[in-house]
This record gives sequence, structure tokens and C-alpha cells, in this order.
Amino acid sequence: MRTHVMDTVAPVLDAVARPVAAVESLAASIHDTLALRADNERLRAENAHLVEWQNAVVQLEKENRDLRNLLHFKAEPGSAYISARVIADTGGAYARSLIVTAGKTDGVRDGMAAMTGDGLVGRVAETGDWSSRVLMITDLNSRIPVIVAETGDRAILAGDNSSQPKLLFLPRDAAVRDGMHILTSGHGGVFPPDLPVGTLHETAQGEVDVVPSADLGRINDIRLIDFDLKGGSFNTINARLHAEGRAQ
Amino acid sequence: MDAFWQRLDLWLRHIMPTAVALIMVLLSVVAWPLPYLGSVMPPLGFIALYYWATHRPDLFPAGAAFTVGLLTDLINGLPLGVSAFLFTVAHHVILRQRRFFAGHSFPMLWSGFALAAGVLTIAQWLAVSLTGWQIAPFAPVLAQTVLGVALFPLPCWAFILMQRAALTAV
Repeated sequence: MRTHVMDTVAPVLDAVARPVAAVESLAASIHDTLALRADNERLRAENAHLVEWQNAVVQLEKENRDLRNLLHFKAEPGSAYISARVIADTGGAYARSLIVTAGKTDGVRDGMAAMTGDGLVGRVAETGDWSSRVLMITDLNSRIPVIVAETGDRAILAGDNSSQPKLLFLPRDAAVRDGMHILTSGHGGVFPPDLPVGTLHETAQGEVDVVPSADLGRINDIRLIDFDLKGGSFNTINARLHAEGRAQ
Repeated sequence: MDAFWQRLDLWLRHIMPTAVALIMVLLSVVAWPLPYLGSVMPPLGFIALYYWATHRPDLFPAGAAFTVGLLTDLINGLPLGVSAFLFTVAHHVILRQRRFFAGHSFPMLWSGFALAAGVLTIAQWLAVSLTGWQIAPFAPVLAQTVLGVALFPLPCWAFILMQRAALTAV
């Protein structure tokens, strides 16, 4: 019933969201034009920096290829991308979810990862024919197995409806500090490993939370990614992650 | 043929309060270009419910309140029935007290909304926490209600204009 209602109201929400997006785009264009000179200087500096990185990547890519050849490495299965527009920011004060303009007819399935270019946003929780609901990583019911990139410590990223989800079950002796990178761990079969999630932040109260890499307060477009991990439906995944969290 | 258009016109005017309330629910989830507005978006559907229940209860029956609540639950991914039940109860209470809320000045109407929204917020928070088996954070719920009370005059002003334009003869 929920998905039918979502499909029914999606065109209405889309119709309202389009002029809103157009006005936002116009305002952004005006802002960009005014900031052209400063942006140009910043981009030149960034470009010089990125060229250095590009050279390093080319070298590493070659080295990687050579090493894979040596090991007869079998590449992992590829992933499929579905782009969608965000037409509704639902849940109010009780949940964090988005409605996007892609559904079963576009190939969307429950459990798919939702990302922006910057990082993980959440996963598909409900799929209609033409629209889907994405449960964000900040939602109270979101549990995602993650790893601290620098130390290798495992933890569970748990949403609490605030803008910064908490890091639970982090080992007590984990030598973590502000700014460390949080990636998906790949455990639980929900997401593949190493998707960027955010950076670690220690609060004044001694809790550890995560500042998401993706700007979750301002998402217009999203990519739904099918990693074909046979992760199961959303409910199965959530039950498994809760169980895994308790077991740790 | 004229009779048909007249009947259609009358029917549209009769369903206007319910339609407006449903549209308000949809507007409350549109992805507005303000960061994190979605998490503190005022309860526009409930504002509409309060206004029409106090001003035109004949055109906004309990079924309308239930439908507005049901759409709120369905579209926001909330436990099904929570808002539908609470909106219906709120509609009943508002109707019993409408002479007190609507018969006086605007500040009295506004105070009545603040009281109704406050009670609804606590009841909704309890219901969502109980059905989800975990305590939902109260701060965003409180922020949403405070923002709703603060902005109440804006949608209210729009409803007054709609009522004067389309419902004076109905």
C-alpha cells in the first residue's frame, strides 16, 4: 500500500520539485557568476594538485595491473548505476528518508546502495514501480557495518535521526582520532567494502560519531548502485545487521 | 448542462478543505532547497486540519482528518495508523472546543493551536517510540513543533483568503 501511494504522489511531488529545483539552479548560477574570479583561482590551484595525483594514479594503476597479472587476479563483478532525482525529503522529525524518481521499472531493487559523488547516503528500503524510498544512514533504524580506514577497527554506524550518526561497538582499545576515514566494511553482505561513508568525530561527551562525506542536507541527485551482493531484502538486511551489532 | 457545472462547482468547494489539507501534507515533504528543513518541517497537514476543523467543521469531517493522518503516515514512512488515529482524536477534541478556539481573537486561535500541537507532538512521539521499540530523539520533534507554532499565521492567512474567496456561500 505504501509503495502504491508513493507511486501515486510521486508525479505530484515531481511537478512541485521541478520549479523549486529550477529556482535553486538559477540562484546557484547567479552565485557562481559572482564568485567566478575566486573560483577560477581556487580551481587552478586544485587542478595543479590533481595533476600531481593523476600522475601518481597512473603509476599505481600500472603497478596494480602488473601485480594482478603476477597473481592471476580475478576481477570482482561490476556494478550497475541508476541515476535518480530526489523529489521528497520525508520522515519529518521521526525518520530520515528520501523519495527518488526511479523504481522497479528502472531496475531498482530493495537493498541497493544510494550514493552521491561524495559518499554513501543510504540504501533503498521500499521500491515502487516508478519511485523508491531511500533510508538514509542518519535514520534511527539504519545500521551499517563500517571500518576505520586508518586503523582497521570495525564498528557499526548507527543513525539516531541527527545529522551525524554514531559509531557503535568500536573496540575500547581502538586508537581513533578526529578526521579518520570511515568506509563500509563489506560485512553483512549489504554493501561492498570501501565505500566512503564519512570522517570520524569525537564529541565533547566522549562519544564517537561520523560526519557524512555526502552533504545529506542538500541532495538533488542520487545514484542507486546494484553491487549484486545477494544481500536480501531490506528487512532481512536490517535484522542481520542488528544481530551482528549485538554479537560484536 | 449548467446544472452539471453548478453541481461540480459545489462539490469542488465542499472537498476544498480536505484537498487543501492533503496538498499541505505533500508540500511538507517536497525537497525544498534549504538544508535539513525536512527534519524540522512544520506539520502543515495538522495546521490545515486545525484551521478547517475550527472554521468549517461541516466541510472537514472526522474522515478527512483520518485521511490526512493516513497520508502523513504513508508518505513519511511512519508506523501506519499513528498519525491517522491521533489526527482523528485531535479532530474530535478540537471540534468539542471549537467555540473556545475559533470564537475569539486570532491570538486565542494561535494559542489553541500551540496547545493542540504540543499535546499531539508528545502523543505522536510516544506512539512512534513505542511502535519502534526505541526512544525517538525528542529535540527535532520539539524543533518541528516550535517552528510550526511560530509559522502558524502564514498558512492560516492563506486559509482565511481561500475561505473568503470560495467558501462564504457554501
